[in-house]
Amino acid sequence: MHASESIVALLALSILGSLVCLALRRPRHVLMTVVGVSAAQMLLACNIWAAVVSGHGFVSAAGQWLYVDAFSAFHMVVLALVFVLSSAFAAVYFGHEAEDVFTAAVASRFGTLWLGAQGAMLLVLESNNLGIMWVGMEATTLLTAFLISLHPSGLSLEAMWKYLIICSIGIAFAFMGTLLAAASIQSDGATASDALFWTNLASTRAHLDPTLMKFAFVFVLVGYGTKAGLAPIHSWLPDAHSQAPAPVSAMFSGFLLNTALYCIMRFVPPVQHVLGQQFPSELLIVFGTLSIMVAAGFIVFQKDAKRLLAYHSVEHMGIITLGYALGPIGSFAALFHTLNHSVCKALAFFAVGRLGQRFGSHDMHAIAGALRADRLWGSALVVSVLALIGVAPFSIFMSEYQLLRAVIGTGAWLTLVVFLAAGGVVFIAALRHLIDMAFGTAGEHDRGARDGAFAAPIVVVATALLLLLGIWMPLPLFDAISSAAAVLAGQP
Amino acid sequence: MPALASLAATVCALVLAPLLFGIVNRTKAFVAGRRGPPLLQLYWDLAKYLRRGAVYGETTSWLFRLGPVIGLATAAAAITVTPFGGIGAPASFTGDLIVLAGLLALGRFATVLAALDTGSSFEGMGASREMHFAALAEPALLLALATLAHATDFVSLTSIYRAIDAAAWTGALPTFALTAMTLVVLLLVENTRIPVDDPTTHLELTMIHEVMVLDHSGPDLGYIHYAAALKLWIIGSLLVGLLVPVRSGDVWLDLAAMLAGMVGLALAIGMVESAMARYRLMHVPQFIVGAATLSAVAFIIRLV
Amino acid sequence: MFALTDIIQAVGLLSCFALLATSRIGACIRWLSFQGILFGLVPLIVHHDGLSIREIALGSGNVALKGIIFPWLLLRLRARADYNREVQPFVSFIMSILFGTLALALSVWLTMQMKPALKDAPFVMLDSSIFLIFVGLFLIVSRRNALMQVIGYLVLENGIFVFGVITVVGTPLLVELGVLLDAFVGVFVMGIAIYHINREFGSIDVDRLTVLKG
Repeated sequence: MHASESIVALLALSILGSLVCLALRRPRHVLMTVVGVSAAQMLLACNIWAAVVSGHGFVSAAGQWLYVDAFSAFHMVVLALVFVLSSAFAAVYFGHEAEDVFTAAVASRFGTLWLGAQGAMLLVLESNNLGIMWVGMEATTLLTAFLISLHPSGLSLEAMWKYLIICSIGIAFAFMGTLLAAASIQSDGATASDALFWTNLASTRAHLDPTLMKFAFVFVLVGYGTKAGLAPIHSWLPDAHSQAPAPVSAMFSGFLLNTALYCIMRFVPPVQHVLGQQFPSELLIVFGTLSIMVAAGFIVFQKDAKRLLAYHSVEHMGIITLGYALGPIGSFAALFHTLNHSVCKALAFFAVGRLGQRFGSHDMHAIAGALRADRLWGSALVVSVLALIGVAPFSIFMSEYQLLRAVIGTGAWLTLVVFLAAGGVVFIAALRHLIDMAFGTAGEHDRGARDGAFAAPIVVVATALLLLLGIWMPLPLFDAISSAAAVLAGQP
Repeated sequence: MPALASLAATVCALVLAPLLFGIVNRTKAFVAGRRGPPLLQLYWDLAKYLRRGAVYGETTSWLFRLGPVIGLATAAAAITVTPFGGIGAPASFTGDLIVLAGLLALGRFATVLAALDTGSSFEGMGASREMHFAALAEPALLLALATLAHATDFVSLTSIYRAIDAAAWTGALPTFALTAMTLVVLLLVENTRIPVDDPTTHLELTMIHEVMVLDHSGPDLGYIHYAAALKLWIIGSLLVGLLVPVRSGDVWLDLAAMLAGMVGLALAIGMVESAMARYRLMHVPQFIVGAATLSAVAFIIRLV
Repeated sequence: MFALTDIIQAVGLLSCFALLATSRIGACIRWLSFQGILFGLVPLIVHHDGLSIREIALGSGNVALKGIIFPWLLLRLRARADYNREVQPFVSFIMSILFGTLALALSVWLTMQMKPALKDAPFVMLDSSIFLIFVGLFLIVSRRNALMQVIGYLVLENGIFVFGVITVVGTPLLVELGVLLDAFVGVFVMGIAIYHINREFGSIDVDRLTVLKG
């Protein structure tokens, strides 16, 4: 199938799948549809990625309205990978919920919103028009809000309301930034309908007004940064992650946050073109280091396992942002880290989700002796948390190491100190929490339930990926990530 | 001619000020379905007070006797710097708007001291309420006058008001409209009308201004009532001067227009007092700050 | 002759201060409706290339949505929720009004920074739009009632709408897309959310949504 047709097919598949789920009556059918659609999308995404990397460096469709270059293709594949893992896990997780909890209505709502949100994220990644990209992000906010309160309760409604209000403000700011970018193009007199195409904005022929682009970038950074979970506008994140069902939390951390960062980074090449490299770098470094510090502080005092993982997400988003600010080597490290973090965080949420179901609560005191209680998910928990805090030989260690090289290479000494200190704090705190959860005598738990068919494959695939990438970087992957980093540096 | 006109305006102020209260009270009575007191009632009352002797409490000192005198003196002095529409004030100089605010403040200060001097708890309560509102109203007055100064590029009240004609209004409609709104509220606050304070209440706990002057009698009471009338005339002429931008060359025409405006103002006050009830005490500061904000907004949007 | 934009600005600023100072939800919803109609007139008077169908559609769309439909929706929500009178916001009214004055000064300053780059946009509309954004943000942060937060969000959207109309000339559909989609769908979603919250908690006092901390 032609790559350009694949782009359209990806979107169409999501919308179609979402509408189908609306009509389904049996929970099992919904879950199977979701898994099927995600598997098909994985294939399509790989097809597109291959075409981009081996071909001209980009694929476009619908008269340049849809445009996929190395940067978007990479994110697309990460999205598809995490999506297929999360969908498979959703089948496992919801399979264990009782009939009266995961009813047909809840199931169909889940399927519709899940696939709809995924379609919106694909629209963000595929769109060339920055206005449409914004529409996609807005749609993800609205669709995922009700995924948080899938099982309505006092706490989940509170988390959902906070998420809705804070992210809507963020999206409004991002819209303001998009408007300012549009106004800055027009200062040159260009009023064509493709004025907001990224390909036009980033090309060297564009004349953009510096003041307006400066304001635009600040608004975009704060606006999309809210959705990406950058401190200090991350306050919705812990609540949303802890109250949403585990597959939804995995989806949030695994690809929604990355999509928001993607939107911010789309604005960087035009801004660099007009204002030089230092301005966006400085802002990104500030937000990145602030996120790392704030997250490290909160991780020490956590009591709820999913909130712990949520703060880890804030920290890792900070690390990725930091990487993007540090030039080509840093961007490479950041992109590699995106892949590693998404897989690892998804696995971690899966483990905590299943263990939470088994132990009846996500409180870290309740989950004790996980290794003994549930061999599969207990070891998944140990592997994922160890990987998250940067233990070798897992892949996150490698990407953080490369990031450190970038930091030292650019001579950002203060950043280095903060990064290492925060990393150390997180290491000790999270390890302590992990030891409490994994070892010791098992607390009260439900012994009976046997895991569904997808459970073991998910854990094996994810763990293998984390180990493999930590030891060996395949050459095609290296090339793909390098071309993605090159897009950010302004050489599409 | 201008000097004669200024003198005429001042004489009008001194003579006609008590008539305003008559009009206000008559309007309120008319709206309530009564005939009401005669228009010249305050004149008869003043004559009555001057004929009587005063009674002074044993707890009071010379401050108590001084209060009404200073109140009247400052009000009369303020009349001499207040322009009457296009007609200039007898004494006008740069920065006289601050002198106006200062004189009114001095008068209020003297009244408050006299009230505190009695040692009565009711009057202390009235004094504290009065100062609370005054602390909020003075910045409002200064902001309003400053906005007018900025809008007309003059720093003397006479020059400012002479420059506010119909053309100026159409050129800066939002500014003048907002400042006029502020002055309306200030009129109600400074002269203790509803909705800030009820001048006809006989319950001490609900009084603000009347309770301060509760213990005065005889000529002192006369001075206080007359000073209150003069204050109404002063702020009223500031407001009417802004709202009635008749600045023809003929001073008698201007004078007549302003007098008509003052009568209209008294009627309007009467209507407002009949239609509204007094605000709860905790809402009055919000009311005053809101009015100050209107002027601040007018000032800020003029800065551009 | 005095400019229509000046009058719209002055009245619009007044409506913002009224929103900051009013405690009753019903009155706030009416002020919001008034503001929506007022600023819906902006596309009709700030047209760069002459009045076309696009400006008329944009203006009337905004008037219909923010002047009529949303207030109606909010009034219905208020009727369903038991809690329809805000007792005391987190920030007192006098502080809110003072904040409004500071925000106005700040937005004038910001407009002066941005003006050289935006030659076609009228100054008064620019600083009104930035002021609306500040007021909207402040209302969301400082009010206890979930309905007031939605009102604050709509004021924020008003500000962005005005900004978009006066700065973005040629890019078709951008401003329309943004505002109408954003506000429209957003408010519907928030309405559903409030309905659920009210059903669960029996009130829409967001001060009670404070269990999740740390």
